[in-house]
Formats: sequence, structure tokens, C-alpha cells
Amino acid sequence: MGTLGKVFFWVVTAFVLFVIVAPLAWIYLTAFKSPNDIFTTEARKLIFFKPTMENFNRLFREFPFWDNFLNTVIISVSSTVVVMVISSLAAYSFARWNTGRGHLLFTTISTRMFPGVVAAIPFFVMYRNLGLLDTRFGLALLHIYFNTSFATFLLYGFFKEIPEELEQAAMVDGYSRVDIFRKIVLPLVRPGLAVTAVFCLVWSWNEFLFSFLFTRVAARPVTVLISSFWGSIEVQYGPMAAGAAIVILPTLVAAWFMQRYIIRGLTFGAVKG
Amino acid sequence: MRTEAFSEVQAGYAVARKPTIWEVLTSEKYFKWTLLIPLLVVLAIFMLYPLLYCAYYSFHQWGMRGEAIYVGAQNYRQLLNDKAFLEALYRTLKVLVICVSCELLIGLGLALLWSREFPGENIVRGLALLPLLVAPLILSLLWNFMFEYDFGAVNLVLQALGLNKVYWWSPQRALYTICFITIWQWFPFSTFVLVAGLRSLPKDVFEAARVDGASPWYTFRRLTLPMLSPLIMIIVVLRTMWLIRLFDPLYGTTRGGVQTELLDWIVYRTAFVYFDIGYGSTMAIFSLVLTIAVCAIMFKMLMRALGGAR
Repeated sequence: MGTLGKVFFWVVTAFVLFVIVAPLAWIYLTAFKSPNDIFTTEARKLIFFKPTMENFNRLFREFPFWDNFLNTVIISVSSTVVVMVISSLAAYSFARWNTGRGHLLFTTISTRMFPGVVAAIPFFVMYRNLGLLDTRFGLALLHIYFNTSFATFLLYGFFKEIPEELEQAAMVDGYSRVDIFRKIVLPLVRPGLAVTAVFCLVWSWNEFLFSFLFTRVAARPVTVLISSFWGSIEVQYGPMAAGAAIVILPTLVAAWFMQRYIIRGLTFGAVKG
Repeated sequence: MRTEAFSEVQAGYAVARKPTIWEVLTSEKYFKWTLLIPLLVVLAIFMLYPLLYCAYYSFHQWGMRGEAIYVGAQNYRQLLNDKAFLEALYRTLKVLVICVSCELLIGLGLALLWSREFPGENIVRGLALLPLLVAPLILSLLWNFMFEYDFGAVNLVLQALGLNKVYWWSPQRALYTICFITIWQWFPFSTFVLVAGLRSLPKDVFEAARVDGASPWYTFRRLTLPMLSPLIMIIVVLRTMWLIRLFDPLYGTTRGGVQTELLDWIVYRTAFVYFDIGYGSTMAIFSLVLTIAVCAIMFKMLMRALGGAR
């Protein structure tokens, strides 16, 4: 690369990073602005303003932010635990014995292609009859449904990487199938389990359609609360930005630490980035 | 001899004693199915049930109250003449084509730029991947504010540069603005898939092409692109799958107004705003069949692209 090439390279790279980071930084800038600085028409005030905690104070005082935040935590953690149990068993079966000769695996992955609304209609009616609307349990069940197929497929790739010879050796040593799974396969696949679990947590954390349709007050996750600030009558940009700043923080941290695995996760294991 | 006798004794023992359920479940023959039981239960509840339910109600008229009335294929006839639905379908396909092609082009360009390792790469990659794991809903709310006419950052910057403000949410532009938000969030995905692809290409082939005096453009078209095609296929399949059901960016911005109603939104509106379960189910079944058809074809292509590796 010549000097000109290097300049071009870094100018483009810097531009791309600016385009990506500036909007995210904008959330954090807005969160610390007073209403006057938010509703300004001076370009200078986009960056230069007097920081204030007003938005956070209002968010915590006037809205059930922490209650909703707790709902999000409970729903995403509990659904992830169940998903991990179901999918690690199934993924192992698919990876080791090719159970169902690929058709079953395809069926599993195709639930991820299901338009969310297809499941939403029957379950809305069913939940209404069973009294499961606006409960954390009900929403967690739906999160289990849409994360299971993803987790199974991703874990399938991780299980595939374990050499079969290892298990055969263990069988010769008199291990039962259950022992092999528990004592040999699971410890080996632990990094894969961790990556998959973080992905499930993030998807559940970010999920909106089901959360929005199936909760009202008691079980409302925090994304739905934040979306309610963008109302038809009044738009509360201050508390919205403050809430968003807190809610996206864990996912930003996850993205930073999982960067090696993000591409692999998003391609269901097909591309190892 | 000895081992044979031993196994006969064992076999005899097994016949004499009825195996417990646990033993059957973990036996060599059934263990693989035992492992699948929880998954199959989840699939039956969450896939089969909604499917049958929607299929049933798509032939009925029902508004969540009273009796469902059987109406035959009337809902389907109505659907094919429903201008709003067909428009939503057309818009969805438009968004699909715009987003996938833009993401691929930007991704390919940046992947070529970043194909060789460079100092500070970890930081660039870490920052570039951030949008992928942030809630789409929150990002759409953010961009909705940034594109606001009076106070939005984008217009203020345009003004400071001496340009005219733009009304980003006008009926002519809103759909493209939504496309922009989606592309902004997802171009790092195709970029880094392709970076991974470029870095795994065999070096000797390119060396040979260089020695033979092939032009860079020729090398790119005849060598790089064909070798990247499996990965391009993966990007197209996965993005199609996700884009067909775009919902969050609409809720955070136009809420289906100003001519931006997409497939999932019109189903939502029919079933959950008008509570027309029968007709909503019909739309849901239609969009499901469309998704499955598109994805089944692409899944086959994907499998072939992966060389039957899985």
C-alpha cells in the first residue's frame, strides 16, 4: 500500500466507524441533556451542553423503570436456562446420530423463520383463556419457543466439533451413554454453551413483538416501556434516551466481549468469523 | 470362548429382569430419541398448534367473540383482492431487495478494504459489530429522533453545512428511511462474514494469477467472487429470513403509517387492532407459506453452497 492508499484506507475506516458509533453515542449525549437542549435548533448544542441527571431522575421517579427492568432480567434468564437444557440435549442427538436425517433439524430451524405473528394469534387467544396474558411465565414460554431452534442449531455446530473417537474410547472404558454426555461431552463443549447462552440472553433481552403483544402492566419488559415514550400525544425523548442508555449497556458489553463469536452466532455456526 | 459365554449370561439376565424405563430410555437404541423429547414437545406446542389453529380459523369468520362461522375459502379470495395487503406484500419485497443488495455491496466493499490484517483491527471490529446486538426497537427509536424534522441531529447537521432540511418521514421517503435504519444496523454483518471468507481463500491461486499478469478486476471477477459465492448465499438467505418479518423498526418509527405498512404489520393490525382473527389467520398462513417456500429453496441452495458439509 502506498501513502495514498494508506490515507484512503484510514479515511474510509474512520468514516465507517463514525457512522456506526455516532448514533450510539447520541443516545448517551441525549440522556444527559435538559429538555431545552434536546429540543434545540442550534447545531452547536448537539455536543456542547450542560449535563444534567434530570432524565434519569424522572425515569426512576415517574415510571416503573426498575420493575420493568427486573421483568426483563427474570424473563430472559429463566427462558435461557430452559432453552439451554432442551437444546443441548437435542443438538447432541442431531450431531452424534443425525437423528431424523436432517429433516427434523430443518423443521427445527424453520421455526426461526416463522413470522412471529403466526404464533402470536393462537397464543394470544389461548393465553387469554388460560389467564396467562401479562404474566412473566407466559412471556418466558414464548421466548423459550423462539430461542430453542436458534440455540439447537448453533450448539449443533459446537457438538459436531467433538471427535467421535473420544466417545468410543469412553465406551470401551465402560462409560454409559448418560455418563459420556455428562462427563465428557458437556465439559468439552462448555465454551460453545457459554456463547449460545449469551446469545439467547441477548435475543430475549431485545425481543419486542411478543413482549409488546402479551404484556400490559405487571409483566411488561423494559423495551416495551421505552417504546411507550414515543406516544401519539407526547414524545418523551429525555426519559427514552436515559432508559435506552441503561438497557443497551449489557448488550453493548456483550457485543464487545463476544466479537469473536458474533458472526458465528448470527450465521447459526456456518461461518466462523 | 469365555467372552461369548459371558455375554450369553448377560443376555439371559437381561431377559429375566424387565428393564426399567430409565434403562430403555438410555439404551443404545432409544437414547438419541430420548434426548429429543423436550425439543419435540416444544415444537409440537409452539409450531404444530399455531399452524393448525391458523389453518382452521383461516376458513372461518371470527372476531374473538361469539361463534366462529365457517365461510369456506372466502377469506383467501378476499386476500387476493385486498389492495392494502398486496401493497404491504409489494413493499416487503421492495425492502428485501433494497436492504439485501445495499448490505451486500457495502459489505463487499468494506471486506475488500479490511481483507488484510491491519493495526487496530480489534478495535475497529469491536466497534463495528456493536449495532448487531442492540435491540432493533431501541435503534429505530433513536433514528426516529435523529431524523426528526425540527430537532433531529441529521437535519441540524445538514443545516449547519448550509444544506436544506429534509422531511425524512414523508410518504415518499419514509420507507427508504426505514431501509436505511435496517441497513445501518446490518451492514457490519455481511462485512465481517465476507472478511472471514476473504481471509480463508487459498493464497497460491492468487499468486499464480498475479504471476500470469491477470488484472485486479479480472482476478476479482473470476477468482474472488466465485469463491465467495457460498458466503454471499448465506448472507442472502439469512437476511431474507429476517427481513420478511420486519416489525420492530416500524413500531419505533411510523407505526405502519405514511405508506410503510409491511407484511407483519398488516397481520398485526388485522388480528390485534381489529381483532379479526379469521382474516388475520389467513394472512398469517399466507405469509408463512411464502416464508417457508422462499426459505426452503434458499436452504437447499445454502446446503449446496456449503458443499453438503452439514
